[in-house]
Amino acid sequence: MPTRVSIGSVRPHPWTILVLAGAFAGCAFALVSTADFAAHLDRQVHGIHCSFLPGVGTPDVSGATGCHVTLMSPYSSVLRQAVWGGVPVSLPAISVFGFIGFWALALALLGWQHDRRATAFLVLATLVPVLTSASMGFISFVTLGAACKLCIGIYVSSLLVFVGALGLWLRSLGDRRRGASQMGGTSVRSRAPDAHAKHAEPASLVALAGAFAFGVSVTLVPALVYGAAAPDYSDYVGTCGTLDQPEAPADVLIAIGPQQASVTAIEVLDPLCPACRGFEDRLDASGLHERVSRQAVLFPLDDQCNWMIDEAIHPGACTVSEAMLCAGERAEEVLAWAFEEQERIREAAAAEPGAARSMVAERFPELAGCVGSPTARARLNRALRWAVANELPVLTPQLYVDGVRVCDADTDLGLDYTLRRLLDRAEAGTLRPEAP
Amino acid sequence: MSAKIGLGVVAFAGMVLLALPSVVVLSWIGGAEDRLAIEEGQAAAAPAVATAAAANESYCTPDLQRVLRRVLQSCGLVGEGGAGGRGCQPVQARQVATMRGSDFNALFIPMAERAGIIQFDRDSAELDPEDQRLIEQVFAERGGASWFFVVSRASPEGSVEHNRELSRERAEAVMGHLQRTFQDPELDRQVGLLWLGEEYAQLEADFCDWRRSGGPGACRPADLNRSAFVAWIECRL
Repeated sequence: MPTRVSIGSVRPHPWTILVLAGAFAGCAFALVSTADFAAHLDRQVHGIHCSFLPGVGTPDVSGATGCHVTLMSPYSSVLRQAVWGGVPVSLPAISVFGFIGFWALALALLGWQHDRRATAFLVLATLVPVLTSASMGFISFVTLGAACKLCIGIYVSSLLVFVGALGLWLRSLGDRRRGASQMGGTSVRSRAPDAHAKHAEPASLVALAGAFAFGVSVTLVPALVYGAAAPDYSDYVGTCGTLDQPEAPADVLIAIGPQQASVTAIEVLDPLCPACRGFEDRLDASGLHERVSRQAVLFPLDDQCNWMIDEAIHPGACTVSEAMLCAGERAEEVLAWAFEEQERIREAAAAEPGAARSMVAERFPELAGCVGSPTARARLNRALRWAVANELPVLTPQLYVDGVRVCDADTDLGLDYTLRRLLDRAEAGTLRPEAP
Repeated sequence: MSAKIGLGVVAFAGMVLLALPSVVVLSWIGGAEDRLAIEEGQAAAAPAVATAAAANESYCTPDLQRVLRRVLQSCGLVGEGGAGGRGCQPVQARQVATMRGSDFNALFIPMAERAGIIQFDRDSAELDPEDQRLIEQVFAERGGASWFFVVSRASPEGSVEHNRELSRERAEAVMGHLQRTFQDPELDRQVGLLWLGEEYAQLEADFCDWRRSGGPGACRPADLNRSAFVAWIECRL
């Protein structure tokens, strides 16, 4: 059994170098993404890196980037009800790319770059990020409509490691065929495998099984560590205040979602607020919306009707809110349209104050006569007055479960974790202590 | 390089790979917990998010606040010991305002952009469609105001008693229209009625430029005072 080779024989093949480069890049992108995610474990608002050069540039705090949309989406982590924020999906990505880089290094150092089985194993390993990237890319571009540069970096890195691994494997198949031809006496001139490879033992199935187990361990251990060490924020649940006057005028409440649950909730929302749309997506994805009968009170952050703000944060929101009030049982349909068209409505209304009304009239002609009418405006004003009566913070979204407020820090990544606990307590009748 | 060395390098890389992500994860989580502890320590000193509140415009001078408070209390909208029913009669209005009629009217000048003058026909308390439209328009422009004032008057034709009664009917006609149109259970706690008859704070020609339901020609003092002045007042008491 050959055990010695010269140092010059450890020459990473260009395909191996491609795999190493892709794995390094993938690791870097996943690392920055996970670091951005983990930064939110302090329950504060943070800027998010969104660049094709991982970690380079000033973190964006506007919340307008595709990276922000993706990170705050329900798809950015798993086990959200058990762990505050969940375990970020980019964390295993660090490990997977790390393992792929590790295995590519092992191929070079152990002389397995021409080994059919060892390189096939590499191809299989690279299929993990490739297939994951394909599905996450679909979610990002199609479902979320967001182009996240860090994610795109991960997708490209996945493709690089796969192409490199595939090239290495195909080359090993060619070597095998050439070896067979030479043994058969055919004088085929070809590049011979390097000296190390000629003398290295082929990768055994036991070695591959060990590598597989190691790969799984490398992937799972950080996730388990994250899950075990993540902060326990259950003490914050239900500590962010209650509604002084939970009874809102009936004509300003809009039923949202299923209404069969015994636990009730009031959501303070602005139909043109991106955070409200993200909140709705997260709530739907959590499945917890089935456990609560939710009603919305409109709180448009638009100075056309809301005197509590100095300038319109979401131009057109007053008009769309009136449309929701006018729509009656079709209010959810108006809300879905507004969420879908938020950016377009806001931009149009910022340029021309009457644009939102025209857009509503075009999409919902039957509401045209009601939107802007004194009665619709008075109803919307009553919704705002309810916010005044309860001295609510001037922000959206806000959720009150049986009158108990979900903390602002828990309305994004921590929503599933917090809401599940609030609902458990509400269903058990222990959410609000009885008055003495 | 021997295969053993290669194997050693691979094993070392494997151990690093196994340990490093977990170490980084623990460092991130520890850092977040430290930041949260610091943040909570500073939270008391940090400015809070603005809280929803009623509007309080610059025209809400101490004088206006004083008059408003007295009128609202005396006319049964806030506090206790009101007049025993909705609205204030001219005598009460003069007493609670404790100022000359012209000074009383001057308090409302800053509301020119959002007030309306509902003009009635002679000896009538009927609202025509134009009157109703203006009432609804002004009422819908509430913004963050807390109080809706209806200050009705009568022109000097007829007896003082008749005009007192006529102006009361005019104020109540406006209130009735608001109740029918907006069906707001809060109206009783928002709308203050003052009927002044011909006795106090008659409107002068200065008010011709205000939003009125009468035509351009209906602007003599007599036309202006067959009216109900309506406006939301953005004053926190």
